[in-house]
Amino acid sequence: MTGLMKKRTNTAQVSKYAEAEFSDDNEIEIEVKDLGVTFHDNSGNEVQALTGINLEIKKGEFISLVGPSGCGKTTLLRTIADLQEPTDGSIHVAGRLPREERMMQKFGIVFQQPVLFDWRTVQKNVELPLELMYYSKKDRRDRAKEMLEMVGLSDFADSYPSQLSGGMQQRVNIARAFAIRPEILLMDEPFSALDEFTKEKLHEDLLRMWRQTNKTVLFVTHNIQEAVFLSDRICVLSPHPGRLSAIVDVDLPRPRSTEMKFTPEFNALVEKVRNSFEGGSI
Amino acid sequence: MLYPVLFGILLIVLWQTKILHAILHTDTFTLPLLGRINGVIADNFSTIMANTGVTVQVALLGLLIGSIAGYLIAVLVVIFPTLGKGALAVTSVFTAIPIVALAPVMNNWTKDTSNVVSVRSAVSKIIVVALVCMANMSINAYRGLTEVKPFSEDLMKALAASRWKMFIKLRIPNSVPYIFTALKVGVPSSIITTIVSEYFAEYLMGIGRQIKENILMAQYAAAWAYIVTACVVGISLYAVLMIIHAIVMKKRAPRS
Amino acid sequence: MKKIVQKKWFSILFWVVVLAVIWEIAASFVAATKRGPENILPHLYQIIGAAFSTQKVNQTMTASQLVLSSTATTVFRAALGFAIGVVTGFILAFLMKLSGAVEKIAFPYLMLIQMIPILGMAPIILSITGSINVSRIMIAAILTFYPVATNTLEGFKSVEKEKYELMASYAAKKRSLYTKVLIPQCMPYFFTGMKISAPMAITAAILVDTLQGDGGLGCVLSQSLRHAMSIYVFWLIVFFSAFLGIISWKLMGWLEILCTPQKRPSLRKKRPGSSEETLKRKEIKVCTREKSRFGKRFHRAEVSGQ
Repeated sequence: MTGLMKKRTNTAQVSKYAEAEFSDDNEIEIEVKDLGVTFHDNSGNEVQALTGINLEIKKGEFISLVGPSGCGKTTLLRTIADLQEPTDGSIHVAGRLPREERMMQKFGIVFQQPVLFDWRTVQKNVELPLELMYYSKKDRRDRAKEMLEMVGLSDFADSYPSQLSGGMQQRVNIARAFAIRPEILLMDEPFSALDEFTKEKLHEDLLRMWRQTNKTVLFVTHNIQEAVFLSDRICVLSPHPGRLSAIVDVDLPRPRSTEMKFTPEFNALVEKVRNSFEGGSI
Repeated sequence: MLYPVLFGILLIVLWQTKILHAILHTDTFTLPLLGRINGVIADNFSTIMANTGVTVQVALLGLLIGSIAGYLIAVLVVIFPTLGKGALAVTSVFTAIPIVALAPVMNNWTKDTSNVVSVRSAVSKIIVVALVCMANMSINAYRGLTEVKPFSEDLMKALAASRWKMFIKLRIPNSVPYIFTALKVGVPSSIITTIVSEYFAEYLMGIGRQIKENILMAQYAAAWAYIVTACVVGISLYAVLMIIHAIVMKKRAPRS
Repeated sequence: MKKIVQKKWFSILFWVVVLAVIWEIAASFVAATKRGPENILPHLYQIIGAAFSTQKVNQTMTASQLVLSSTATTVFRAALGFAIGVVTGFILAFLMKLSGAVEKIAFPYLMLIQMIPILGMAPIILSITGSINVSRIMIAAILTFYPVATNTLEGFKSVEKEKYELMASYAAKKRSLYTKVLIPQCMPYFFTGMKISAPMAITAAILVDTLQGDGGLGCVLSQSLRHAMSIYVFWLIVFFSAFLGIISWKLMGWLEILCTPQKRPSLRKKRPGSSEETLKRKEIKVCTREKSRFGKRFHRAEVSGQ
């Protein structure tokens, strides 16, 4: 961790230069080339988490990484976010290294557990990244209000996280990720600890927010239905060693609604993804 | 491992070269050199051991009685939660009562327990130590008995386990690590409590009493010898506890 | 009626009354069988009576006046030592978090300090410093320092990996990491340390008082034990020092509530009748279970000194 903090460059300077960038719909946002990540486990053995990953993600695309546990999907997400060093190959995000992109505060990350700060109210939790980016008090408050409105938690702005349900906490978490208007949203199994009803609601919320803001989203999950419902494309990963075994295009029309989950097209896609795991099934 | 050793050596060097004395504005009479303290320990080894025996006996007996009582209180609180919560709060208050106030009171109360000074003095000290250890143990044990693994309580209920079975199979095994947490605090505090209550005791034996007596007679080297002994006793008892902890925990499934 | 019985304060009151009744029965027994019962176990009303008695116990003061004035002396010195201990303990924990080398050097010694009978060393510290005031403050400070340092360090270490990663993803400066995450998160732990050490600082100050006659609770305590004045002064001091220990502990609890907004119950708006509320409770339970399933340590181990 300390390593990450030490390698910081001059943030203010870099971000000024970044604002001059313009966006293009077909521009490649994330480019992963021959990526390999190797860990050392406790007994010193080498564990190959990822090998030979090649992937191009377009700007504004919603991409899911699907696979059984141990396939390295979370590692891939973390490597793109510069929370993990690649062993081989390279990653470029908007033509830059992940570290530069992180220093320019272009990533919004949502973890599986809602990482909220107990001592801050819901509103202050959403404001936290904005404080770090030196927004004025008024701007922070306005932005946080807007975000809480978007996730339907305006009434709970002054509550503390411990007073909220698991689903509400995760909504705060998502509001906070959107608050900094990140170019890329990285979500690591954000809904896996939630019940089916909350999950469905949050799926719709997420798609609505994504449509409104047009961010690139990288979404890690082990739930195939979830991936099909949300994504433009699905990357299927297989374990031992973690590798990309297929990319499935999801050509369902948008905007999507929950009813779509019962159509034959939807089920065919689920089947297609399931069959593309190497070895047939999970 | 290297750094702490170097720091220790530095401290000893400062002590032996009397730089420490200069810093503390003191002399080798009140803060004798280590060789002198060792000499005193060697010369009076049997006396020191006799006094150490008295102190260790009191500390361990008090710790044992207090811990068992504390654990039983915790068990009762789990069984009778309504009145129990208050009992736990009242017990925890005992940790906040200064030993200095407790020790003379116990001396008064235990006057009739025996005609032998050493026995009634020991009883009084053991009660004080037990009271201090009891509070600490009851709080930790209560947590151990109630903070069971998620859903395991429900599982036991689903298996139609009786309350009794629940205690034997779930709560008591779960409380073992918490008992050690309590003992880690309890072992040093039982020794301290013993030493301090010895200041007020009738009986003239014991490490604490010897520290006080020797200082009154301005025999600082002898007082230091007892302080060093107290440290050694404290550290070795703690080490023994850690070894027992390691052995007990090894038998359980490794937690990581 | 049933609601009152369920309340925590009721069961506390119940046990206090039980203890008082046991005391009174024992006192009556002692009064009937022993000579000089006030030395062993006086009735509670006799002790309370002594507190309000206008009879002077020495040349100038009544029992209560004497106890209160010596309390002021003792508490002031204990508080000074306590403050010094808290500040140094926090700074050490902070330095240990900041630098691995400091942690490596200091941590084994921090464990060792716990084994050294500092209270037992009171007489020798007195003879080294030569001043009873300095040694009292010093001992209170040393006793305070250890629990504060270990608990605060534990608090710093309780910060989950995800929080560091979240801050890293915002490219947060190290300074912000400390001010916005590490220090706020370690506050409850810091207060746990203070709750443990506040009564110890009082104990230390009273103990050092007994070593030399210059006022203070401990000094008066040993005088009355030697029958230099009414024995009721002794009983008053026993109760009063117990009260001081408890109040110092409570005080830290109140301070904690003042400093940690999430623990302030008044701020917690209740939404009566809302289904969200009941749903929330269930889900929180699941959520905390989920967390502990991941093996995180959610309880604060109470690390104590002597």
